[in-house]
Amino acid sequence: MAVNWAQVIFNSVVTGSLYLIGAVGLTLTYGLSKFPNFAHAELITIGAFIGYFVTEQLGLGWPMALVVAFISSGLVGFLCCRGIFQPLARRGSSIIHLMVASIALGFILRHSVGAAWTWKPLYFTTHWSAFDVGPLRITGLWLWLIISALGLSLVMHLFLMYTKMGKAIRASSSNPALARASGINVDRVIWVTWFIGAGLAAVAGVFRGADTQIWPMTGWDIILPVFAVAILGGIGNFYGAIAAAFIIGLAENIGVVGLMALGVSTTYRIGIAFLILIVTLIVKPEGLAMLFRRA
Amino acid sequence: MDPLLYVLDLVVFIGIFGIVSLSLNLEFGFAGLANFGKVAFFLIGAYTYALLSQVGVPFYLCLIASAVVSAIFGLLISLPALRLRADYLAIAILAFGEILRLIVKSEDWLAGGDWGITVAPAISVAGASHRVDALINIGLVYFCLLIFFFIIQLLANSPYGRAMRAIREDELAAEVMGKSRTKFKAQALMIGSAMAGVAGALYVQYQYSVLPGMFMPMITFTVWIMVLLGGPGNNWGVLLGATLVEVFERGTNIAKDYIDLPVDPSNLQYILFGALIIFVLLYRPQGILKESKIRSKVQRLAFNGRRSAKNKGS
Repeated sequence: MAVNWAQVIFNSVVTGSLYLIGAVGLTLTYGLSKFPNFAHAELITIGAFIGYFVTEQLGLGWPMALVVAFISSGLVGFLCCRGIFQPLARRGSSIIHLMVASIALGFILRHSVGAAWTWKPLYFTTHWSAFDVGPLRITGLWLWLIISALGLSLVMHLFLMYTKMGKAIRASSSNPALARASGINVDRVIWVTWFIGAGLAAVAGVFRGADTQIWPMTGWDIILPVFAVAILGGIGNFYGAIAAAFIIGLAENIGVVGLMALGVSTTYRIGIAFLILIVTLIVKPEGLAMLFRRA
Repeated sequence: MDPLLYVLDLVVFIGIFGIVSLSLNLEFGFAGLANFGKVAFFLIGAYTYALLSQVGVPFYLCLIASAVVSAIFGLLISLPALRLRADYLAIAILAFGEILRLIVKSEDWLAGGDWGITVAPAISVAGASHRVDALINIGLVYFCLLIFFFIIQLLANSPYGRAMRAIREDELAAEVMGKSRTKFKAQALMIGSAMAGVAGALYVQYQYSVLPGMFMPMITFTVWIMVLLGGPGNNWGVLLGATLVEVFERGTNIAKDYIDLPVDPSNLQYILFGALIIFVLLYRPQGILKESKIRSKVQRLAFNGRRSAKNKGS
């Protein structure tokens, strides 16, 4: 069987872009609030459903769907942080309690979405035309996804490096006490980060929903690779996450080729992310962070 | 449905999940481990039992094998995982559970893949009614529960249990006192996994079938609710939590036949569970029953000695 390697590479970039957009919020909030938010999966799901609501049920266009999904999911993230996680942290909850709370929150959000819409898979009706470029088969959706990921990387880079808020996020993430002492309102930094992170998760959800299907498990389906990106990239490290997203995208797509060559079920592609996750945790829990000291 | 049978069924479920929540209590309540993949060990025990009983191994050997295989997996996962921080351990075990479910789901040769296989009941009496079947299961489940309860209770009050709690409170201090945290945590995970494995075996033989869909992450989460609600570190509390959660689950299941709600009740049930756990974490993080005091011989002697000294003085 001849493998179209150009296509494999291209698919890796597509996969990596999706994981990057999905994982940025997770890695930033993890770095800042010091616990993994398992409800991040549900923020992705909410994005997918809001996107569906805006495009299919309200009949507005794609850009509108992305914007509305970003804002509404961002608000959900902000409210969760404000209403649940910060009070818990103030009461001196351990990290285990925070993780359990985030799983509980995930169940609330997932089943609220299931109650509001349905548990049956939904699909976007928009047809994305496919066209060939040389040996590559490309759809418009994938191009949008890649452009979004590139745009996101650029904007986040500028934001983190050159704006006051971005610098405050980095400062609070690396040393909250010192940040507070230097007059940074750490609480506000945390809120802004949760808002942005949840919003970006929603954008990933819209793309994932358009690429596959929309149902209350949309986010949970990709939670393993998203966590793998956050861990491999180094928690709280945006640049590490970019590298990690494309490494995992590449590993998954090459892995799928390998699985097919071995005649093993391709449902194991998610196992590749798991493998990377475990190996990173055991060998180098700080991930790729040492390559990107500045962030 | 026969109301008596319904109650008996509930009692069996309380017993099975009582065992799982006791095992989580050992791991989280006493040793402070965030095992977010409880369902993985439940699954291993269940599939071990199903596969062995299929080839005609007697049920008590199947149960023992479930415990042993689960314990081995618990030990294997603990080798790399225990050096990790609490959050990394949680992610790693959670991912392990998901992958395991994926494997049993896609490997059709193993145990029927997505459709599962039927499992013979452990003890079958010819011509027995459903009620008698349930009673037999109650006997079997509560026999195991009793054994495990005694083991955990003894562990918790022994020097071994005290070392475990010391590690939970302050790893470094315990290590300085010569208690290897890796060893204790690995053992906690091993014993806990063995118990969860037995519970999984009891579960599938009671349900007559084993399906990948039985082992959703929700199981892990339900057990966490039981432990946190009842009181981590308190074995009685954990059993109380298991009872309350199961009764609540059944109660909402019955209520949905009689009450007309605008929201799908099965969704509502999960939403309420989630809200309940957040509420407990916010307002009563120690659970309904607080962690039990350690009861030891020395303490009793000291207490009695003080009393007799007082009596002498008066």
